[in-house]
Amino acid sequence: MSNGKIVQVIGAVIDVEFDREEVPQVFDALKVVETGLTLEVQQQLGDGVVRTIALGSSEGLSRGLEVVNTEQPIAIPVGEETLGRIMDVLGTAIDEKGEINARIKQPIHRPAPTYEDQKGGNELLETGVKVIDLMCPFARGGKVGLFGGAGVGKTVTMLELIRNIAVEHSGLSVFAGVGERTREGNSFYYEMLEAGVLDKISLVFGQMNEPPGNRLRVALSGVTLAEQFRDEGRDVLLFIDNIYRYTLAGVEVSALLGRMPSAVGYQPNLAEDMGILQERITTTKTGSITSVQAIYVPADDLTDPSPATTFAHLDSTVTLNRAITDLGIYPAVDPLDSTSRQLDANIVGQEHYSVARNAQEVLQRYQELKDIIAILGMDELTEEDKALVYRARKLQQFFSQPMFVAEQFTGREGQYVTREDTVRSVKAILDGDVDDLPEQAFSMVGDIDSAREKAETMQVEA
Amino acid sequence: MTVGREIKKKIGSVENTKKVTSAMQMVAASKMRRTQDRMHEARPYSNAIRAVIGHLANSSPEYRHQFMTEREVKRIGFIVVSTDKGQCGGLNTNMFRELLRELKSWEEQGIKADLALIGNKAASFFRSVGGNVVAAINGVGEVPEVETLVGSLKIMLDSFSDETIDRLDVVSNEFISSMQQRPQIRQLLPLVHSEDPDTTHQWDYIYEPEARDLIDGLVQRHVESQVYQSVVENTACEQAARMIAMKNATDNAENMIEELALLYNNARQAAITQEIAEIVGGAAAL
Repeated sequence: MSNGKIVQVIGAVIDVEFDREEVPQVFDALKVVETGLTLEVQQQLGDGVVRTIALGSSEGLSRGLEVVNTEQPIAIPVGEETLGRIMDVLGTAIDEKGEINARIKQPIHRPAPTYEDQKGGNELLETGVKVIDLMCPFARGGKVGLFGGAGVGKTVTMLELIRNIAVEHSGLSVFAGVGERTREGNSFYYEMLEAGVLDKISLVFGQMNEPPGNRLRVALSGVTLAEQFRDEGRDVLLFIDNIYRYTLAGVEVSALLGRMPSAVGYQPNLAEDMGILQERITTTKTGSITSVQAIYVPADDLTDPSPATTFAHLDSTVTLNRAITDLGIYPAVDPLDSTSRQLDANIVGQEHYSVARNAQEVLQRYQELKDIIAILGMDELTEEDKALVYRARKLQQFFSQPMFVAEQFTGREGQYVTREDTVRSVKAILDGDVDDLPEQAFSMVGDIDSAREKAETMQVEA
Repeated sequence: MTVGREIKKKIGSVENTKKVTSAMQMVAASKMRRTQDRMHEARPYSNAIRAVIGHLANSSPEYRHQFMTEREVKRIGFIVVSTDKGQCGGLNTNMFRELLRELKSWEEQGIKADLALIGNKAASFFRSVGGNVVAAINGVGEVPEVETLVGSLKIMLDSFSDETIDRLDVVSNEFISSMQQRPQIRQLLPLVHSEDPDTTHQWDYIYEPEARDLIDGLVQRHVESQVYQSVVENTACEQAARMIAMKNATDNAENMIEELALLYNNARQAAITQEIAEIVGGAAAL
């Protein structure tokens, strides 16, 4: 079998010419003999030429370099041997602990489970974060999106969820770092090591300093790892930070691959790209994948095509809002914008359901009254509306919560609040049982009892 | 440009609000003049009658009217003078807060209160916070008639006469200036002793015709005039407070419009830039 030759290099996109009889298939991995760089076939251009993306730096390549066809897609080591290890998109260990000697290797391109294999579930997964458990409860085996603009706390909220779910519920996890900061990946690694759960987590990183090819494919590597655990019949948690970088990497190579840019400059096959990834993250009859995905929202605009195409794939959406971070409330989850398929009286129970809807109503009304307050002042409100406004403000404060992963920033010990406690506490606020407590007592506390305690200590200090 | 359209809609609604508040401000300003005149016109009469009554209370005539005798307070009555309409800032709210504080301090001594309410705002306030309301009237208007006030007054006076209540206070706003109003609670019954320095010595009147008829009439007139004065003064306060409140509201609306306009221009420009970038990018890719 004859080798190919590089005929064109444009950034991360490389054209390789093969013998007409031996054109590689789409998604086949090629290797540049001289540098060891891996290329992935994207298109067959005809006349034996294939267009590929480089999974690594393409500097130093020149026309005429020899390329060998491996005749199979990129395959990465999967299974138990990957636990506690960090790898890159190609499955190479990057934690300097030697090679990953896995018994099984799986290609990163695989078909999504069929209709028949898929399975839905409604068992709740408690996160211990008040506003999330109340407004957008997670389901075991469900898909959760964490939307937010730049710097509203997506990564911190995600780490808190990882800590609460992975540590308190113990189970296997896969963490895929897609185009985010290496520093965060590093601190995440050590945090998990400290918490003693590292041997239950597989990590795969393709961070923002890496070429678009890596960032485009690393999400698939992460999914492949999770799929293996699932197919072995286990329940696995998949964390992806950040899906938007996957789209962005797609944008970077799309035009170079010769596709016409579409709305807002995204690739024309944006929805398909997203579908290929998201459809594979599903729960089957053998095992479950519960996924939590951070999704960057460009310019805080949720109607942007990238977050908009992601919405449809999710069971729960947790929306972080800049207006709430401005109030100093963390996690800055927007209780009106966050929803879940699980927020259903048949799943969470009538009590939880009505408390959540009530809280939304109160907050919604407060939003409407805000304009009146801004123009005419508090005095013009009726007594009922005034009471409602005070309750809404307390509720807003109550949705802040000290986080375990942010202890060094807040100086407060993290709080895990059970779902029953959350529902009970919010009900107390809505019913006006705690109208006498000052608003500040509700900020950065656990359940309603700790709010009462805080009010007492505040009184003592005053 | 969905964001742009939303902002534009909001600007429109704030602009409409601003139109309403600035119109109300102007109406209040012109009414303020007249209500203040009315307040000043009523003042000499009510001052004079208060002085006379003060003297009477100090004197020791052969006939003492029931309203003049102090009794141990077991139950108290309040006549609450409020406005019919809102949009007058904290005028009513401040007064109610003052009243609630007063009610609470009586409550602590185990003394309950009856309330006679003038004006819609007091009625709706006490409907929500609760309270023993024995009479309520509204729509006394800007030119209050003594006759319309007498009705609710009569209930209070009657319960004072039959000793259901042992003290009657009037709660209203005191007009200090157009910029400043202050809630005040004044005792109406039993009649207060005048503390004028020049009345420290004993006054004694010679009554013609009979003391009983004269004093009965006088006391009646006095109570009416005091309440009337409170209502007129409160109306003046209302207009002044409304003018200020509406001016603030108009200013707030204006600021809001400015901020929103800035936001709108930003969004518009961003949309234009994006479209240009898309077209140029698309053309370059071809």
